[in-house]
Amino acid sequence: MSSAIERKKKGDLKRIQTTEGVMVMKKSLIVAIAFMLSLSTLIGCAKESASDQETSAPYQGSKDEKYVMVTFLSGIEYWKNAFQGMEEAANNLGVKAVYKGADQYDINQQVTVLEQVIAQKPDGILVTCINPDALVAPINKAVDAGIPVITFDADAPDSKRYSFLATSNYDAGATAARELARLTKEKGKVGVVTVPGQLNHEERKKGFVETIQKEFPKMKVVSIQDGKSDQVQSAQATSAMIQKHPDLVGIFATEASTGVGVGTAIKEAGKVGKIHIISFDTDKGTLDMVKSGVIDATLAQGTWNMGYWGMHYLYNLKHDLIHPVNDWKTAKINPLPPFVDTGVNVVTKENVDHFYSNN
Amino acid sequence: MNTPGIKKGAVTEWVKEKRLFQFREANLLSIIAVLFILLSLTTPGFLTAENLKTTLIGLVLDGIVAVGMTLVLVAAGVDLSVGSVLALSSVLAGYLAYNDINIWLASLIAIVVSLLTGFVNGFFISRVGLNPLIMTLGMMSVARGVAYVITEGAPISITGMNPSFLYFGQGEILGIPTIVIILLILVILGDILLRKTVYLRQVYYVGSNEKAAKLSGIHVKNIHLMVYTVSAVLAGLAGLLSLARFSVATPTAGMGAELRAIAACVIGGASLTGGVGTIVGSLLGVVLVGLVNNALVLMDVSVYWQQLVTGLVLIIAVTWDVISHRKKEKRRLKADSNH
Repeated sequence: MSSAIERKKKGDLKRIQTTEGVMVMKKSLIVAIAFMLSLSTLIGCAKESASDQETSAPYQGSKDEKYVMVTFLSGIEYWKNAFQGMEEAANNLGVKAVYKGADQYDINQQVTVLEQVIAQKPDGILVTCINPDALVAPINKAVDAGIPVITFDADAPDSKRYSFLATSNYDAGATAARELARLTKEKGKVGVVTVPGQLNHEERKKGFVETIQKEFPKMKVVSIQDGKSDQVQSAQATSAMIQKHPDLVGIFATEASTGVGVGTAIKEAGKVGKIHIISFDTDKGTLDMVKSGVIDATLAQGTWNMGYWGMHYLYNLKHDLIHPVNDWKTAKINPLPPFVDTGVNVVTKENVDHFYSNN
Repeated sequence: MNTPGIKKGAVTEWVKEKRLFQFREANLLSIIAVLFILLSLTTPGFLTAENLKTTLIGLVLDGIVAVGMTLVLVAAGVDLSVGSVLALSSVLAGYLAYNDINIWLASLIAIVVSLLTGFVNGFFISRVGLNPLIMTLGMMSVARGVAYVITEGAPISITGMNPSFLYFGQGEILGIPTIVIILLILVILGDILLRKTVYLRQVYYVGSNEKAAKLSGIHVKNIHLMVYTVSAVLAGLAGLLSLARFSVATPTAGMGAELRAIAACVIGGASLTGGVGTIVGSLLGVVLVGLVNNALVLMDVSVYWQQLVTGLVLIIAVTWDVISHRKKEKRRLKADSNH
């Protein structure tokens, strides 16, 4: 620091000169950004020029119809499958699906993106909610403006969204318990590595713990640890758990990176096959561990179905194709099932290869 | 100019410098104008009241944080704790309000706690001599940690609470969102104060030449203490506005806000080595980043590009900053050897 001060000591006049230099450079920097932007504008325009003509069949939409999926942490692999489902449905219906989102786990950013999407008046929005309360206002605004909104994976139950498609996390936890019980011959001590405080993880944990208590009297949940959604932290928590309970026979990890951390710790401890692992989700790291036998099974969520059927719901609403009663709008009833459990599938060594192709 | 010891020459230097600042801002402004016109012509849905309003609202929190960050950067410091202090303030006020404490009292407490975090930052940096990067990195973790402890990870909802408080985040005055007006007031007020008042001018002297500032009678330590405190109070205020806007406080609020603010300030003319930068410039930096993000959404550019573009803007800006300083250094060395 002090050398910087020395350097600055003499430069009063020179500073003024060099400020100009900085300014010029900053100008060219901004010009460069503007250029990049205008370039992508052109690309964007070129993409939109194609359009198809409409036919009379109700399940044939037009390419001008635009349905948007909005997520948070938009870069993560998890949403990819959901959007693939949505895209496939959009292709079948002859409409366009677009993926948008905020790249960080930040309410302000997701709401901003969602509001910007609403301002464009798309034909329907499929949104996952970073927070149940914060998204109520924008969702209601969209619905009031005549834009159908369906939530998936994470809900805003107090909003006017028509339906919510997601995994029943409690049931998924119960499935994990039954699968682990099968592997451990329904006896022994088991543990959970989870993310405390997050509703979906709390429910998975609850479903797991309560099912063990109710259905498998010879099994006992002896430890519940915080994996902090992080591989390294989860591995540490798992090592500690094995130290404390050397006779552990199984661990349920409620999330993908947690599962990979648990798997790594078990491998390092040389306990593969002695301690069975049930993990969650199907990112590549998890699938690799299932394939190599470190993780016994993982639960694949129906994310593809969330996207596929969510898209169909939006299309049906937009085209006014559902009539449970004559006029559901004046009758003020919800024309759709308010909640759809898209379920989980157990992924093991036998069927793991089929899940790679989806990524 | 009644501050003891500030020399006449320094004042004239500042007058010249000021002209340059305004020139630079005009430059950035014209670039934003060009971008604006370009987007209006090429991107359907850009030039609508709805879109512009949402984009403006979206950049308010970063804007307020950037106001404080400008002060810190000008003083040759850096404050990484602002995003966390934002979350802490929001969560604390939300928690107290949820437990039936008057929301205004809760807000006051949150602001006082924010102020304390800034004071602690400033104290350890100016009096104990810790590196600002390390100190505020520590505080970033501490403040975020306290936010997690208070909430145990779960968001706190205050939906349906005191409408006059929520008005600050959700209301409008003459069609302009209140939250945007608050940002504008802070920016205009802050910019005028930083340019015109003798006390805040000292921040420039401290930032560009700490030793000389000390010799000319400026209480350098107090200036450092002041900039970190102001930065934290503004971050705390941003936290309260976040609470008022979403009626929910999450411990993850403001993630990465410190980096976005630094990027915006640097684009707006601030230097990481101190001594330069204006609040209006930083706001223009925030606006430019906000426009770029809006354009990415409107033009259906894949979300996978968003991080990349934001990152590029940051890297290019910082690279420019470093290169320009290297040149500056060379010229100085040359000038020194001529003596």
